[in-house]
This record gives sequence, structure tokens and C-alpha cells, in this order.
Amino acid sequence: MTSLNTSRRCKSTRRLPGGLVFAVLVACLPLTVVVSNAHGEAPGDEAAPFVYTLWETFYAEEGGLPNDHIFALRADGDRLWVGTENGLALYHGGTWKSWGEKDGLPWRVVSAIAVSAKTGDVWLGLFGGGLARFSGGRFDHFNQFNSGLVNDVVYGVAVLDDTVWVATTAGMNALNTVTGEWEIYTEKNAPMEEIWCYSVDAADGKVFAAVWGGGILEWDVATRRWNAHRDPDREMEIDLYRDDGLIHIITTSASYVDGVLWASTYFGLSRYDGRHWRGWMDHDSGLASNFINFTVGRSATSSVNATDLGLSVLVDFASDTWVSYRRDAEDAATWSAHVWTGADELATIATNLDLPNHFVIAAEIQGDDVWIGTGHGLARGRGVGYYDGVRPPASAAEPQGDTP
Amino acid sequence: MRIAPVALAAAMAVAAGPVAAEDPGTTAAEKPQVYGDTPEELVPYGRFTEPYKTFFLEPNEYRGYGRELAEPKQVDSVRIGFLGPIESTVSVATGGASHEEPLGVMMLHGAELAIEHANARGGYRPRAVPYELVVRNDNGLWGSSGNEIVDLAYNAKVWAILGTIDGANSHIAIRVALKAEVPMMNTGDTDPTFIETRIPWVCRNITDDRQMSYALAEYVYGTLGFKRVAALRANNRYGRISIDEFRDASTRLGHPFLAELNYPLGATDFSPQLERIKALKPDAVITWGDAAESALILSQMRAMGMNQLFIGSDRMATAEFLETVGPDPGPVVAGYPYDPTSTDPAHTAFVKAFADRFGGPPDAYAAHAYDGMAQLIDAIEKAGLNRALIRDELMSVKAWHGVTGEKTYDAVCSNRSPALLALIENGGWVFRHLDEVHGDS
Repeated sequence: MTSLNTSRRCKSTRRLPGGLVFAVLVACLPLTVVVSNAHGEAPGDEAAPFVYTLWETFYAEEGGLPNDHIFALRADGDRLWVGTENGLALYHGGTWKSWGEKDGLPWRVVSAIAVSAKTGDVWLGLFGGGLARFSGGRFDHFNQFNSGLVNDVVYGVAVLDDTVWVATTAGMNALNTVTGEWEIYTEKNAPMEEIWCYSVDAADGKVFAAVWGGGILEWDVATRRWNAHRDPDREMEIDLYRDDGLIHIITTSASYVDGVLWASTYFGLSRYDGRHWRGWMDHDSGLASNFINFTVGRSATSSVNATDLGLSVLVDFASDTWVSYRRDAEDAATWSAHVWTGADELATIATNLDLPNHFVIAAEIQGDDVWIGTGHGLARGRGVGYYDGVRPPASAAEPQGDTP
Repeated sequence: MRIAPVALAAAMAVAAGPVAAEDPGTTAAEKPQVYGDTPEELVPYGRFTEPYKTFFLEPNEYRGYGRELAEPKQVDSVRIGFLGPIESTVSVATGGASHEEPLGVMMLHGAELAIEHANARGGYRPRAVPYELVVRNDNGLWGSSGNEIVDLAYNAKVWAILGTIDGANSHIAIRVALKAEVPMMNTGDTDPTFIETRIPWVCRNITDDRQMSYALAEYVYGTLGFKRVAALRANNRYGRISIDEFRDASTRLGHPFLAELNYPLGATDFSPQLERIKALKPDAVITWGDAAESALILSQMRAMGMNQLFIGSDRMATAEFLETVGPDPGPVVAGYPYDPTSTDPAHTAFVKAFADRFGGPPDAYAAHAYDGMAQLIDAIEKAGLNRALIRDELMSVKAWHGVTGEKTYDAVCSNRSPALLALIENGGWVFRHLDEVHGDS
């Protein structure tokens, strides 16, 4: 058992769902929250989100990682691929392996990674170096001069069935890996107000591209049609109404899971369920910062967001419950986890995470664990006893499996 | 005769630089409540409601790693990147022509002169090593600017970058600069959206089309009392994006465009569009494009008996335009980012130095590049060789007195100095502040 001091500004609980009320009371009344163990559990025994308090960190100086500046993370079963500013790395079974230009990697800056579920091929977006396929220990290089790749500055890669989707700074590509045919999408044949593609995700017959200055583009594989999602107010300097649509057309990433789109911007986070939009900013939620580099959906109700002020996890959409992890001060030894419901902060919980800064560039979910990449180091939050959503009060709780 | 660089550099160093009394910390209390110095009646949706959130009123912070990195022990030169349209390659981004090359070459000359003056003062002062300009062209296919920034950041290992002009290439470049974490000073892209991206590595020192549009709108609808304006603009990104603010201002003032037509870059016959516009009986015609096409449009308007006020962008206010339209082209007005006829000592010294060095007068792109490079060098001198710290220094400047006059930066490091109006009088361009033309009218 570990006693953790909390610094909080407890506010009204009247807007909380019933399941969270008791947890809030537990968290607010004493100035000390008792957690069940050091691994990272709920901030009490009652309704609350799971909090990652146990973290592992990885640095190049320890060996393994080729570079500390992390640009991309991709889980592949129990393996984790890491794209850095100076090489590619693979973490598997507690050991590291890495590749640099001397090993055949066509360009050192790896900005995006995707793995084909069908072939196991690893597709690498190279920042200024094009696209690479890593298969059977060999790198194949595709660039503007030897292929249909529309630009060598690649920000995002996704694989859907036999097609590799590539988001570049000057348009999108779809590479059919069976026929070798390249399709190019720009303002000429897609509803791109701008062509600066920043991220791509694909699942369940849909492809979503985050287009810088162009919102989110949705491609339906079956109908081969594009659908554009943009900020309805059409103004850069404002968000006119909350939840009227995509927060801003400067989008940075898209993640599609369980039929729900998560879209990150430098102005907040958006969620679209096919009918309704929902937006979050740092003043109306537990989102640590509006500046979101990357989002990855865990489910239709939860997403993990890499911000310039730490990691913000929307744990439960229905109750608007967030956990944001960040350094509370420049000289803080470790990061803290801040639990929020809506705009109300409920508790602050210590963690052992000691990455030197909280500008999170990349994030990935691997089973119950979460990974984050920063400008100086990589970390894994261990999901020991992890559970989805918020855990209801004991009186109403379903059995929680291995949850302590 | 060429002025001795050391003497000139010393003279200009006195006149140019951050405004001495400026304390970056004092500006926080003066936080603007309206982004972009937007007049009340031109605020988006301002007549109807308050927005849920207004952006760009707070500084763009960089919260990442990098300030801790030590300065390299050995450097032979301090490299600064330059990105601009300087070669005559075909650019899809700019509509299939290399029409920005003359602007890019002037921008390069301005940057070169600033580097030469800094080196004449002893180079990077903490170590007495020279500054080196690493020059890259961005006038290729869309996205080439991205490749060049990657090259500058990772291969040339520059400490900061100055560029560029084309709006699309500028956007591409700053996204790469964001990821590669390199400070950028933009001195030639007037696209308002360039700075509206929250990238904490970017500054812009040229007055943008937002400010120029506000000045033009006040002149056209306020001073002159016009109500009927039709538009004929270039169909490239520059024409499409940069006319936005004037169009929005027209609508918000109750005078939406009668029509907005466009033309392909390189067009020479505008009669089909002008026939349609003429039939609408406008008070004024606005164009947004380059000098060559703007001049042809005006000439053909006059030939068709259309004597309305002709409104244009700053790219129109050139000698090339005057050569085409002749000495008495009728009423013409354009926005302009600074006063090129200023008698400020810093400006006159720069004009003379530029002419001595390059054999002709500078233009707006040269002057702003000189100022932008001087500001980058100043930031490097203060921060040392650390990109994040250079960024911090750059963002901390809230006012800068350069050869282009007084620059006032907003929270997101975009110059918000009021635009001037360029008018044709006695066969030449004259530059007036808005309050001056109010008096004239």
C-alpha cells in the first residue's frame, strides 16, 4: 500500500454520473488517497478510472534504442516497432534490435510505421526519404523517382488488406501490393482543400486521412468515394460552437476504431460516431493541452492523446472521465496523473514516470499497456490490473476479473 | 562606389534591432482580445454571437526537449538556411509557372546582405566564426520545400531557416520545421493562414494579407463609400486564399462581391471575365495575383471603357506594373506591407547598401529578408547554438525596428504593423497610411 499526497481543486460533483460520485468523495475528503499497490490502480477502491502509475523508461544510452527522439510507435502483437530520428528499433521479449542506414534502412528518420496483418511486412514512412518495406530482413525503398510515391516527406502509413496507404506532405498514395499499382490522390481527384496529409488510419473498410488545412478525409473502400469532414465555421481563428463538427481543419492525426473516428488537432480533440460530433479542449475537459500531436483510439469510448503537455487519456466517453499524465513542474522528479471528470479535477496521483519532458510525440496501445514517445526517451505504462472505463461502486459492480 | 561593409554594418546596427525599451514580459498584460487587430465590424460572426473559443491570443509555447542540449564544441561556421523560389523551374504549386522567381532572388539578396553585414561585424560574436547561408530552391513540384527543409535540418544542420514566399510551400516547410524542430522566419508569405497553425517554431515579419485587406476595405467602403465590388483573381492558391479576408470584410460590411471570377496563371486575354463584370456595373474591381496579369487586366479594363477603381495586392505595386499600364492608368490602389520611400536612416542606409551590392534598388521581399535575417542573427547571438533557445529568443521579440520600419509582433509571432496603401500618382507609386488618405478624400 502506498499513500500518495494529492493536490486538487475539488469542485461540484453534481454533474457526475452516479458511479463516480463516491469516488470523487473519497478522493476529495481526505488530502491523501490510498492506492492498492504501486502498479497503478484506481485512486481508491470505488468508481474510478485506471491510472498508470508504474512506468518503464528506455533511452538510447542504455543500448537498444538507436535514438531518443521518438517519432512513431506501432504495436504488432507483443512486439513494438519504434521509429526514431536516427533509426528503426524493435522491442520484443525484453530485448532490443535496431537498424540504421548502415543496415540498409534507406533514410534514418522514421516517421511512421504500419504492419501488414496479412504478410507481416513492416511499412516505414521516412521523413524526407520516402517509403520503405521491411520484409525478410531486407529493406525495399520507394521514392518519388523510382515509384508512384507522390512525395518523399511521409508522415503516415496504414495497411488495409492488400493496400498500403501513405500520407505525404503533397498528397496521398494507395499502393496495391498485389499488382504494384500506385494511386495518387491530390486536389485533382479528392476533396482536398489542401494536400498536406499528416496521418492516415485504416480499418473496417474505411480510410481516414488527417489533412493539415483540409480536415479529415474519409475513403470508403467499397464505394471508392471520398467524404470530407471540415470545421463548419470555416474560420481559422475561432471555434464557433462546441460539438458542431470537427474543431479545426488543422488536423494532425486520425484513428478509427469500433466505428468511431478520433481526430486530433492543435486546437483540441474531436470524436465522430457517424452522426454526432463531440469536441474537447483544455478549458472544458481533462485534456492537458489543445496541442495534440497524435491520437490513438482504444475503443469507441476511449482514446490516448499525445499532447505537448503530457499524455491525456479519455478513459470513459460517457462520464467524460480523463487521466492526464504530465510533469507538474520543470524540476519535478516524476510525472503526476491528474484525474478529471469534465472540467473538474478530482485527484492527483503520483507515478514513477521520470521522462525529462512531457512533449509527447507518439503514443501506442499494446494490450493493457500504453507506450509514449517523446523528444528524449520512450516509456511504457504497465497496465497491471488494467480495466476499461471507470470501475463502478462496489455495490453495483460486476466482477472485475483480475482487478484488485 | 560600394560602401565599406564594416562601416555600414555599424551604422545599421545602431538603427536596426529589437526596440530597446521592449520588455517581452510586459506584453502579456497587453494581450489583445481580438486576433489580428481585426476591426470590430469584421470579426467573424461578430454580429451574431461570441465564439466558443478564440485562438491565437496566447503565445505558441514549445514544451519539448532541446533546451538542455549543449552547444557544439567545434563549429567552422554558423549555418542559416535559406529557402526560396530562386530557380526557373516549373512549379505546380504556383500554377505552372516560375513567376515568383524574381521575388525569390530579391529575397535571397536581402538575406545575403544581412549575412555579409553580420560577418563584417565579426560573425558569430561568442566565437568569432562566420555566418554561412545555406541556400535551397523551393520552386519545384509541390512538396519540394519539404524535402529541402529536411535536407537543411538533418544534412546541412542549420540553426535556423529563412523562407519562403509561396503559401503552399511555406505551409509545407513549417510542418517539416515543426517536426525537425528548427526555427523559421518567414519574410515573404502574406497568406494569413500561414501563421494560424499554432506551430511554435515560426515567426513572420511581413505584414500579411489580413492587414492589407483590412486597410483596403476601410479605404474602399469607408473612405470612398463604395458598395459594389467585383473580383477577378488568379486561380492559384495565392489568389484563392489571399483574397479571403477582403471578401469576408466586404460581406461583413454588407457589400458582398457582385461576382468572383478567376483566370488561369499566364492568361493574357481577360475580356470574357471583364465583359461579365462590366455588365454588373461595379464601383470597383479587385484582383489578387501577380503584377503582370494585374497590369493586363487593368489595361484591358480601361480599353473597354471601364474606369472604375482598380484594387490589387502588394504584388501589383511594382515598376513592371507601371510599365504596362502607362503613366495615367486611372484610380488604382493596392495594399503594401511597408513604406519603401521611408527616410528612416536604417532604411536609407539599407537601400544604398543594397544598390551598391546588387546594382539595383531593393523591393519588399529584399527588405523584409534583410530584417528577418538580422532578427535571426540577433536571436542566435543571444541564445547560442541551440535551436530551441534560438526559437525562444525569436518568440520573445515583441517589437523590432528594422529597415522596413517598426514591426510589432502579436502573441503568435506574426507582425501586425498596419499596412499601407499604394496609390498611383503622377505616374508613380506613392505609399500612404490610411489616415493620410482619409484626409485626402
